[in-house]
Amino acid sequence: MEIKPLKIGDLVAELPIIQGGMGVGISRSRLAAAVANEGGIGVISSAQIGYDEEDFNKNPLTANIRALKNHIIKAKKDAKKGIIGLNIMVALNNYEEYVKAAIEAGIDLIISGAGLPTGLPILVKNTKVKIAPIVSSLKACKTILKLWDRKYETTADLVVIEGPKAGGHLGFLLEDLENNNVELDQILVEVLEEVKQYESKYNKEIPVVVAGGIYTGTDIGKFMNLGASGVQMATRFIATYECDAHENYKQAFLNRTKDEIELVKSPVGMPGRAIVNKLVQTIKHEKVKVRKCYDCLKRDHCDRVNIPYCITNKLIEAAEGDVDNGLLFCGENAYRLKKIVSVKEIIDELKDEMLAY
Amino acid sequence: MIFEKVVELIANELSVSKEEIKMETHLQNDLGADSLDAVELIMTVEEEFDLSIPDDLAQGLKTVGDIVRYLEANK
Repeated sequence: MEIKPLKIGDLVAELPIIQGGMGVGISRSRLAAAVANEGGIGVISSAQIGYDEEDFNKNPLTANIRALKNHIIKAKKDAKKGIIGLNIMVALNNYEEYVKAAIEAGIDLIISGAGLPTGLPILVKNTKVKIAPIVSSLKACKTILKLWDRKYETTADLVVIEGPKAGGHLGFLLEDLENNNVELDQILVEVLEEVKQYESKYNKEIPVVVAGGIYTGTDIGKFMNLGASGVQMATRFIATYECDAHENYKQAFLNRTKDEIELVKSPVGMPGRAIVNKLVQTIKHEKVKVRKCYDCLKRDHCDRVNIPYCITNKLIEAAEGDVDNGLLFCGENAYRLKKIVSVKEIIDELKDEMLAY
Repeated sequence: MIFEKVVELIANELSVSKEEIKMETHLQNDLGADSLDAVELIMTVEEEFDLSIPDDLAQGLKTVGDIVRYLEANK
């Protein structure tokens, strides 16, 4: 098939590929810029992005805001004309401050999930910044688009659907994941139908992008044939030279088997998917003592007392290379990663496969 | 009056019987509403009572009583 660009309003990515945001030090400026330079959209995750700043332990918010701005400015500079997005979780404390900082630093696109980004339109009002909710069901898509329409008389610039095979936190019930009750194809068809009314009301196109388990150019072709305008892929970009995490972290994903990837519980309440390591084995029967609270999540999302482990702490340990005690979030297809390559090699392969599809 | 109206809206929105709904009923814990249902419900309440509830306050409305008291104070 012909490779169609991904158009989000006046933003045009040569390739219909968004690199999914990967929290706590995995996708920062280096990876995002590399993907943007190859014609995709590079995405920086705001989650504890300042974990390696000197003052992080003393004042995580200040450190994170500073690091977020610096990484966006650097990515925009390194990516020249490329498009740089931000992935930010609604469940985060100080959500507004992060979004404002990203806008100031020149972000092009904000992709936001882990809750409904109800207030996002006000924050980007009178800017050219594009906004995209992440949804995992037709219901979530309906609710957020209806709310934005009613309250702010606006709509999404892009919709990202994260399906059941995605990595990190998942927007599904554990039992639905275990029984394969949900299919990304089906959600895509429903969401495409739902956005139509807003496309006609606001007289604009709302591209829909799918994520979760997309690994090859053939996968991309398949979803684009179903009506998707593109895909979001994250896991594959872990095994790249440009991925911002520690070398041990990248190596820990290579040559795994399917059985070494499991659904795990997270303090946030939603299930997540990760590589089975010492931590994952431990939390099956005991809690990991929380030594310090980074105040990262809103109180509703983390009760701080009964949690199985501290998510910030475990993701930082992973990013720093402690692959036994850290949490190695990944998508369902992570077992297919065999070696570390460059972002360009992955993109070239995807392009060839798309052209051959 | 406000209470009766709210009960009706909740019963419709969440498909539960009116008898189950009391002032102290918790939307998520007692009626099985998820976070999306809660947002939908608030939108319906806003429409019916013709007012707009700010996001940060809306998130704090956890029980039927919370909604009723908010409406009584802001109607």
